[in-house]
Amino acid sequence: MDYALIAPYLPDLLSGFWITVQLSVITLVLATPIATAIALGRDLGPRPLARALAVLVNAVRLLPALIVLYFVFYGGPQLGLRMKPMTAATIGLVAMGAAYMSEDIRGGFSALDRGQFAACRALGLPFGHALRRVLLPQALPLIVPPYMTRAIIMVKGTSLASMVSVADLTAEATRASSITYQPYVFVLLAGVLYLALSGVLVAFQAWVERHLRLRYRLAR
Amino acid sequence: MTLDFSTIPEVWPALMKGAGVTIQLTLAVLILATPGGLLVAFLRLAPQPWLRALVLALSWVFRGIPPLLLLFFAFFGLPIMGLTLQPLPAAILAMTTYMSFYFGEIFASGLRSVPPGQAQAAAALGIPAHRTLMRIILPQTIPAALPPYISHATEILKGTALAAAVAVPELSNAAKKIFVVTYRPLEVLIVAAAIYALLDGVLLLLQMFGERWSNRRRAGR
Repeated sequence: MDYALIAPYLPDLLSGFWITVQLSVITLVLATPIATAIALGRDLGPRPLARALAVLVNAVRLLPALIVLYFVFYGGPQLGLRMKPMTAATIGLVAMGAAYMSEDIRGGFSALDRGQFAACRALGLPFGHALRRVLLPQALPLIVPPYMTRAIIMVKGTSLASMVSVADLTAEATRASSITYQPYVFVLLAGVLYLALSGVLVAFQAWVERHLRLRYRLAR
Repeated sequence: MTLDFSTIPEVWPALMKGAGVTIQLTLAVLILATPGGLLVAFLRLAPQPWLRALVLALSWVFRGIPPLLLLFFAFFGLPIMGLTLQPLPAAILAMTTYMSFYFGEIFASGLRSVPPGQAQAAAALGIPAHRTLMRIILPQTIPAALPPYISHATEILKGTALAAAVAVPELSNAAKKIFVVTYRPLEVLIVAAAIYALLDGVLLLLQMFGERWSNRRRAGR
């Protein structure tokens, strides 16, 4: 790799990488509680709410992420919602991520015996208490692996923001490519940075799984 | 504000043309990545440790890099290496490559679910290796592999939207070309979304029939 070729574009690439990191963190931080709320609403909420959430989640899951981003970025202004590319991309990515993630979380809860929810209520445990002390300790170890897989998919998905003119890592790499006519240097560099990001998440997953095993004294 | 679908009949042919390209791209990738995935799965379970390690590393790379970036690489990067492709073949190449590795993971876990004693028993009975594979091992992987296979097939369908980035005239590209002229994105996007949902529905129907077929087959023998 030719350093003299990369050097002029390094600041842009780094700022693109920073935007990608920000976008990843913001979408994950926002999507996780929303996904949990959706999962709980679908499993424990009143029937009309559960139905409405099911329709919404499946509608979003049927669509390509790009179309969802187009809806927010290009369709929003038609409804009077004009926003910056970054905001639009965040809203679109959070909607996509939360819909898929709610399914992963529901998968973990579905492994629990339904009787446990009833038993907690019969014993008069407050809902938050039941969730924290009874249900989550059992569901969390089941949720963590698919959750982290989803998180990695969401980090890769932030590259779509470049299609609604966010200057993220993908956008900066392709811009540098089209100026220098040296695409594979920059695309490879961007690829390595994305791999590094998902590597961090994989390491985090290993740490969380070990922590959960020790905390809840799980077998294995 | 009110939605106004009166322009849709006028742009319908363009949307249909885009949907046609989306279907072509989905089918091409599905048809090419399925044997590609089987190849990856066999290599993942190969007796040579170095081969297994190599395929594992490649699998990690191709599943770890955003598909959009791989598309850019196929379209802009390969010409430097002397391989210049039209947008559609470039998209097919990029998507087939990374989908082969996703399918490879599914098929490998399907193959692992068949007890190794069966292949040994077949070998002891003198059944040729290829027939053992086709008649004994692969049919048993179908029930385990079919649901994730179809859900990845819908991922291919949804992933084709990315090909818009390398100027493939598929459905999302067609939709965008229309609404930058009409200035009414919502109507066109709603119609495009409905077409995607319909195509997803076709794949889900295939899964239903496939599951019923493989259950019947198993019950019948």
